[in-house]
Amino acid sequence: MIELGKNILRFSFFILLQVTIIRHLDMGAYFNPFLFVGAILMLPIRINKTLVLIIAFATGLIIDMFYNTMGMNAAACTFMAFCRPRALRVFAPAGDYNADASATVNSMGIRWMISYAGTLIFIHHFVLFYLETFSLHGFFTTLLKVVLSGIATLILFLITQSLFFRNL
Amino acid sequence: MYGIIAFFRRFYFSLLFIALEIISIAFVVTNNYYHEAGYFNSSNRIAGTVYGAYSGVTSYFSLQNVNHQLAEENAQLLNTVSKTKDTSTYKKGTLTNPFGQQYNFILAEVVDNSTNLPNNYLTLRAGSEEGIGEGMGVISPTGIVGIVVKVSSRYSVVMSLLHQKTLVSAMFKKSGTFGSLSWSDNKDYRFATLNQIPMSEKVKQGDTIVTSGFSTVFPKGIMVGTVDNFKAIPELYFYTIRVKLSTDFKNIRYVYVVSSIEKTEKDSLERATQNALNDKVK
Repeated sequence: MIELGKNILRFSFFILLQVTIIRHLDMGAYFNPFLFVGAILMLPIRINKTLVLIIAFATGLIIDMFYNTMGMNAAACTFMAFCRPRALRVFAPAGDYNADASATVNSMGIRWMISYAGTLIFIHHFVLFYLETFSLHGFFTTLLKVVLSGIATLILFLITQSLFFRNL
Repeated sequence: MYGIIAFFRRFYFSLLFIALEIISIAFVVTNNYYHEAGYFNSSNRIAGTVYGAYSGVTSYFSLQNVNHQLAEENAQLLNTVSKTKDTSTYKKGTLTNPFGQQYNFILAEVVDNSTNLPNNYLTLRAGSEEGIGEGMGVISPTGIVGIVVKVSSRYSVVMSLLHQKTLVSAMFKKSGTFGSLSWSDNKDYRFATLNQIPMSEKVKQGDTIVTSGFSTVFPKGIMVGTVDNFKAIPELYFYTIRVKLSTDFKNIRYVYVVSSIEKTEKDSLERATQNALNDKVK
């Protein structure tokens, strides 16, 4: 029950942070961080993967509502949630995750977090930005955007974790 | 039968994933149609309230800028009024519209705005209750802003000029040669591209570009920007012109929504005709 409350609070926090502050961090056309995916990344490691899929879809729709990008974030988040179990498996430490492991820097270490979050953030941004331009015209410009925005998101995510989720 | 159930049990995760992706992509595709009414946009109450609260806090930071803009616009309007004291040149009006006024301007506050996405939108705190409708043009004190695409009772969403789908008919102020304006490079919020200007036009850097008024979306002669640089495409006999936009898209606080009186009249007439026909059928 406490776990559920924590997760709901975390989602509200990330979504509000995204639509009020991150959205207005104006860093030019190449840096569009989408920090809210952090809420999906930080879901418990052992949570049911179908549930993650549905949560990600719903979160994406909420962000779409604020960004007027109907369906694009939903598609990108769903795709990311689909890849999450695989990413968790690939980056699993020797002898699998502990029973009480959570997807935080404190629990898993900074190197694990960078590779796990980095991969999934890149996947999310890739789907999102190509859907947004909706063409392969300017393929490399969009790719550069994916990489730069992904790095920005990852850095912001690590900062947010060290500031607000130190003991979660 | 058993085989089908076994199949679903085995692949339910992938099947659910595919179903959700199809739903999302369907949203993306259908939302591209201009008049498709969707609920999930920032004109709904939740998004409107959040953006309203946010802009309530941040609007203080830009007050100085807004004041300056308004003062400048006032001066400009005073100049226009003093120049056009002679009313004989006005188009003849009717009894209900004595000065031949063609447009109503509805004031709206911008509660959300973006400039760095490939497709940008603005959210306005004013909706159908204030008389805003889909397809109306939006202008700021300094130039054109965009076109209204979604309206709820208290909020509306504007497709910014900084959007891949925006096309505005614009012309040279001095000669009236017109072309179509779009935001094709979609990276820099300060520039747009004017296409289809024939090479017979004598283009100079700094030339003024205004709206042509061919559609009822924008009145004729609203400022768009100035020529920044231009390139000839000899095989098409056209110029491609980079236009420096006069609207500062990063600092828009108040805008005017342009409601064409003739268009409203036409629409209500058409609706009345339609209703009369329907009654007859009954």
